[in-house]
Order: sequence, then C-alpha cells, then structure tokens
Amino acid sequence: MYLTVRNATKTFGSFKALDNVSIEIDRREFVCLLGPSGCGKTTLLRLIAGLTELNSGEILLEGTALSNLPARKRGFGIVFQSYSLFPNMTVAENIGYGQKIRGTPRSEISRRVTELLELVKLPQVAGKFPGQLSGGQQQRIALARAIAVDPRVLLLDEPLSALDAKVRAELRDEIRHVQRSLGIPTLMVTHDQEEALALADKIICMNHGVVVQAGTPEDLYHRPATRFVADFMGISNLVSADPIRREFPDLMAKWPGGAGAEHVACIRPEQIGLTPAQDGNATVRSISFLGNLRRLEVDSAIGPLVVETHGYNSCHEGERVNLSIPPEACTWVADDLAHQPAETAA
Amino acid sequence: MSGVEKMTTPARRQLDADRLLTLVCVGLPLLGLVLFFLYPMVIVFLRSLTVDDGYGLANYTRVLGSTGFWRATEHSLIMGAATTVLSVFLGFIIAHGLYRCAFRGKWLIRGVIVLPLLAPSLVQALGLIFLLGRNGVISRALGVEIEIYGFWGLLIANTLYALPQAVMIIGAALVLLDARVYEAAEVMGASPSRQFRDLTLPAARFGILNAAFVCFTITITDFGNAAVIGGDYSVLATEIYSQVVGQRNFNMGAVVGIMLLLPTVVSYAIERQAMKRQQVGQMAGQVPYRSSFAPVRDPVMASLSLLVCAGIVAVIGIVVYASFVTLWPYNMTLSFKHYDITLAGGYSSLWMTIVISLMAASGGTLAVFLLCLGLRRLPRSAAQPIQMLAAMPAAVPGMVLGLAYILTFNSTATPLYLLYGTAALIAIINFYHYHTQGFLTVMTGFRQLPRALEEAADSLGAGMARTAVDIIAPFIAPMLVSVFFFLFMRSMVTLSAVVFLTTPDLSVAAVTIMRLDDAGLTSQAAAFSTCVMAVVSVALLSMKGTLELMGRRNRIKRPV
Repeated sequence: MYLTVRNATKTFGSFKALDNVSIEIDRREFVCLLGPSGCGKTTLLRLIAGLTELNSGEILLEGTALSNLPARKRGFGIVFQSYSLFPNMTVAENIGYGQKIRGTPRSEISRRVTELLELVKLPQVAGKFPGQLSGGQQQRIALARAIAVDPRVLLLDEPLSALDAKVRAELRDEIRHVQRSLGIPTLMVTHDQEEALALADKIICMNHGVVVQAGTPEDLYHRPATRFVADFMGISNLVSADPIRREFPDLMAKWPGGAGAEHVACIRPEQIGLTPAQDGNATVRSISFLGNLRRLEVDSAIGPLVVETHGYNSCHEGERVNLSIPPEACTWVADDLAHQPAETAA
Repeated sequence: MSGVEKMTTPARRQLDADRLLTLVCVGLPLLGLVLFFLYPMVIVFLRSLTVDDGYGLANYTRVLGSTGFWRATEHSLIMGAATTVLSVFLGFIIAHGLYRCAFRGKWLIRGVIVLPLLAPSLVQALGLIFLLGRNGVISRALGVEIEIYGFWGLLIANTLYALPQAVMIIGAALVLLDARVYEAAEVMGASPSRQFRDLTLPAARFGILNAAFVCFTITITDFGNAAVIGGDYSVLATEIYSQVVGQRNFNMGAVVGIMLLLPTVVSYAIERQAMKRQQVGQMAGQVPYRSSFAPVRDPVMASLSLLVCAGIVAVIGIVVYASFVTLWPYNMTLSFKHYDITLAGGYSSLWMTIVISLMAASGGTLAVFLLCLGLRRLPRSAAQPIQMLAAMPAAVPGMVLGLAYILTFNSTATPLYLLYGTAALIAIINFYHYHTQGFLTVMTGFRQLPRALEEAADSLGAGMARTAVDIIAPFIAPMLVSVFFFLFMRSMVTLSAVVFLTTPDLSVAAVTIMRLDDAGLTSQAAAFSTCVMAVVSVALLSMKGTLELMGRRNRIKRPV
C-alpha cells in the first residue's frame, strides 16, 4: 500500500475523535472519507497532513513512518473548504508559492503556473487577486496550488461544501479529471454521499471516530454492512425481519439468522416494482415529482415504504398499487443503530 | 464541522528551527514584560511595605490615618463617578447620533471627537482657563468671575478627555446591531421608541458598561488635567505626585499608588468581562443598519452632538488661538512671540519626544507582533497565562507605573540602573503603559487570520519565519499600522507615566508644557501644546492615509 494509517487514535480532552482507525490508500487511488459532522474524518485528514498530532498509532508512506515529519516536510498538497488562498498574492503567486519556497527558477515557475492554469481551465486569471474570483474559481486555483509541487498525496478537506450546487457538480468533474490524468493518490473528506459516489474509487464510511465500512461505491450502496451505512448512502427502506418473513418470504433466503433484531432488510426505493392494481398490497400516500423521477410514499403491509419510479406513471395519491421486490434487491444489514439514539443524517 | 475537529495542537515534535523561533518570539517580549512591567510592579509593592526597620504596614497605617489621603480618595471617586456619568451620557448621544440616526455632517463630528486625543490631557485644562478663567474670553465677555479651578473645571476637562473613548466604545457596540432585527421588529409592529428600549439599549448594555469603566479609569488615573486645573481639589494622582516630588517620600507615594491601583484593577477586570460578553453577540454575514431620517429624533440628536463638538472645538481651538496672541488678554494682536520658548531647553524636548515616540512605536509594534506570532504556536495552557500578563498593564495607572520605574531603575542595585535617565527607558515605559491596547489589537488581527492560510502555507513547505513574512504580516498589516501610530501618538502626549522619569537633561513634551504652565508662561505652554498637536495630527493623518491606501489596495483584491 502507498499510504497506510494504522491504529490511529486521537483525543481532544475527553472526546475521542478517532478510535483505533486504520485505512489504506493505493497509488493513483481516489479515496473518500465519508461521514456525518463530528465523525472524525477531518481529524484523520489533518493527521495525515501533519497539521495535528497522533496520540497513538502510525502513518506510513511507502513503508516509512511520517509521524515525526512536520507538515511542511511531507510534500503533500491540501485544499481546504474555503478561504485558504493567500489574499495578498496574485493567482500566479499563489500557485507558484510552493515552488518558490523550494527555490525553483522563476522561468520554470511561470511555465508551471501557465500549465496548471490551463489544466484547471482558468488561463486568464494569473494576475488577479483571490478576492476578484468567484468561489468556484478560487477552489480551482487552490487545487492548482496544491498540485503545483507534485504532491505525494493530495488531501481535499470538503473542497466543494461552500459552493453552489451547479458549480459544485462542475468542479467535482474537474477534480476527478485532474486526479485521473495526473494519477495523484487522493484523499477527500466529505459529508455528501453523492459526491463520494461520483468521485471515489474507494469510500471509507466513518461514524463516531471509527471506520464503519470501507469499499467501492457499489459495495457501500448496494451491500451496506450496517444500518448506519445504508441510511447514510442515500434513501433506503429499512424493515425488520418479522414483517418481511410474513409478507415477502422469498426475501428471507439471504437472512443471516439470529433472534431477529440484529439485522434489518435494506431495500433501495428504485428497486421496488410498482404497478397500479385495484387489489394491490399497498396504498399511495403521497407523491413528490422530482423531474427525472417520482418519489412515492406508500403504506404497505410491511410498513411505510419509499418507492422511486422513472419516466411517466399515472399513479395518484390514495390509489391502490401492487409492490414487487426482487430477492436481489434486499440486503440484510447489521442494525448498529438499534441501541443508539437516532442520528440526524443531514 | 464540529469545533472539536477543527482544533489544532501545534506539532510538538517540530524540534527544528520553527520551535526555536517560537521560543524566541515568545521569550523576548515575555522577558520585556517581566523586566519592565512585572518586576517594577513588585518593587513598588515592596516599597509600599518598606519601613525603617524592614517590612511592615506602618506606611499604610500612616496613609490611611491621614485626612489628606481620604480627602483625595473621596475626590477621586466623586470625580471619577461624575465624569463617567457625564461622558457616558454624552458619548451615548453622540454615538447614537453617528450610528443610528440620519443627518448630514457626521464627518465633522467624527473629526472633532478625536481632537482631545491629539493633545496631552492638560490641554483641555489650559483651554478651559483661556475660556473661563479669570482672564478667560467668556468670563470677560460676561463680566463675571467664574471659579474654574477645582471641581467644575476638572469635571469639564476630564469629560472632554474621556468622551472620545466613550463614543468609540459605545459606537462599536451600536454598529454591531443587525438591520434585520430591526426590520423584524418593525414588521411585528414595534414603534421606534419600543425598538430603542427593547433592541438598542439591551444590545448596547455591555458597550455602555465597558465605556463607563474605561472613562472611570481614565479619569481617576489622569494627572495632567488635575495638575493644571484641579486647584485645591486634590485627587489621588496629584497626591502621589506631591508625596514623591514635593516631599521626596517614595514609600508613601508607593502606598498611595497601590491604593490607586485597587479601583483601577477592579474596574479593568469588570471591563474585560463586559467586553467578552459583548463579543459573543458578533456574527458573520451581518446586514449593516441604515438609518432613515426621523423628523424629531434626528434634529435633536444632531444639535446635541454639534453642541458638544462646539465645546470641544472651543476648548482646543482657544489654546491654539491663545498661543498666537501677543499678550493675553490685554494685547490681542497676533504674533509668533510665544513660539520662542524661553524655558531651558526650548524645543529640544519636542524633538526628543518624537524620537522617543518613534522608538516606542517601532519597538512596541515589533514586540507585540512577535508575541502574538509565538503565542499562536504555543499550546493553550502555556499561551493563556502569557496572554493574561500581556493584557495586565492597562489596569495600572501611568502614575503608578512611573513611580515603579523610578523605584526600580533609579537604584544602583541592578545593572538596570544603566537605563535610568535615558530616552530608551522613557520609550520603554510608554510602550508598556499602552502594551495592552497594542497587544489586543494585534491579537484581534491574528484571530481574523484563517487557520487554513497558515496550514496551506505549511503544507506547501513554508516554515514559520517564511509564513510570518509572506502570509501573516501582509494580512494583519492594517493592525500593525494602527498599533504603530497608536503607540506613537500616545507616547507624544502621555504625561502621567513619564512625569517621574524626566531629568533636567531629558524632558518630554507633556512635561515641558506642565513646567511652562507652572512657571506662569501659559501662552508659551499653549504654543508648545499647539506644536505637539500639530505633530500628532500629522501622525493621525498619516495613519488614516496609510490605512486608506491599504484599504483601497485590498478592495481591489477583495471586492465585496
């Protein structure tokens, strides 16, 4: 593995921000740290950057321990959420700053700056000051500044969170493109599961200072390990075993067993088939039109469910419908929230 | 993100140059604070306990048993309270006028209100004497004999001196109020007077409290006005002076000094608390209040504000005018006669004061910058006590600090004696006298500096020194400029701290003015004051100009 964090623990006073966390990042890999506020993801990123110190555990880059190396000697690039461009320097000076520190000749710096401005598609702004740029442009420059020094690892701390939805989507593709073309191992912190799904080769889902699940975006979406992950990775219907056994017995095939309360069925709303039928097994309670899809809340024998349908459908509120759930649509997940107060997933 | 996650602990294991630099940054200014603030304060405390045969409370019993001391204390407290009430009341009217009302000519009020800060405090007293004294313009015009020396004269002089502070502090609280809150109240049907009672007053509460304590402290610690116009109305500051200079009784002076320290320390502690409470109310993305014209309120507020300003202009203006009058009040033709200073030394003390002020300003700005820079890299547990120490000097009256210096540095017991009688020591006392204000200003600048900037520089490979020069200094440059000029201007006019440290060979401007006045050369005192005011005005304009230039450059960089 290229970058390894092993058994990292970090406390702030009595608060345990990270509890024995281990993660790995491969060469050229794009890894997302995903989780709600306060789950420890930013702390982990800052530990890797060298901006915060470990209580215990170790961080290895190509097998070498980094723990004693200050941030400025790690050779990493970092992009923060916002306001990290130096306001007193022009865009070109900002991008060239890392190389200037390293004593790179001026001609080489200006060549590199031009090249990077092309890469982030802002060739005209070299002489401007950060305050003259939009938020999205500033983040592009911050990205260019971070990769100017050929960082060994690129760290992105919620780089898109402060931006408008449209700019965010654009810049998301930009980051993806830049990372793929340069092949820099990248770790991004985000609380937006859509962002993580779109960007990551690997998602590490965290909660309460521990890693809950790590895997490909498909793994986490379709095969969540726990109720928390299922809930956090988009909308899911979580139903306990007893009503499933009664109403949809063929979904019990993969049930891991046990007394019944340890696992719940996770069924994604787009995987439920829905057809209008007078003698159907459910009733439509409400419909939200979301453009490309419709989201329906239906009352069924196994409780209220969310169903999403694409394209035109003639259902209206109060109508009887028939629900069908194919066996592969159901994943049984550990109910890790059963004994905890409900999280408010934003 | 939770606040906890954003917290940073400085990398403890950076045993390289950066760590050393942090130690130097904190260590040097800290050494200065210990040597030039803490140590003299300990000395003055010990001296207050020193009696012929060792240590004891004999000095205190003597002081507490004397009627003179109790009279001075009573006078100080009454004067402090009266000045506070008057200046906070007038200050609120002016601040409310400036920030909550709509009328023209606010620039005039803003300009006039800072005038008292341009001159040594005794200039207000001088002005009052030229206006209301036996030969004053007003007394002669009305043909009445007004007894201006004493309580009333001192009250007016002190109020004029404290007023700028009151306006600035209350104004800062009023300007924080968000327009949306008022819009919401308006929509809910609250009348303007209700809005004033329910929104403005409660929000300005801590500002008013804060202003009250600052005015109180300024008043009871001021020496210049009391010395010139106090007459028989003795206060604690003049009492210390007469003990030390008049009776050469240093130990008794130290006792009175400690007694004067008590109310200022209490007052300062409460003021700091009030300030903290006020800052909680600040929030990002505030919508500034735009006042619209109110037919009754605004003309009234405007005329009251202008009336007070007229008073200030009259008092300061008459000093300038009188300095040009050939023989006040008999020959009112104008001449430059009084600018030929006849007192020994002439203008040398003015030049010396400028040199001293430049020293205090440049050295002081550098010192607080280094201190704040270093503190940012220290763990909280270590930074907090140092911050407290750095904020302490404001609680110490200038007279007490000056007395502490003479007791400490005019003793051959330590090599520090070498500093006694040098311009450097006067520059040093001026800096430490105003250390708190300078330190807190730069601290505020550092607080506004986003952590991400330093961390980005850090990740790009910049060390501490490089980050300080390339990133931090440009960011807080406006604060550094303000502190530089603040220290310069205060050093130009301060009297109380330096009055004990001047020698026949080394005097400063404010002391020269006092000597000229003492010698009955009132017109020359006015002329000398005018010169000081000219220098300070140039400094103030330079500061405004520099800040304006920086602001304009920054507006290009960050258009809002």
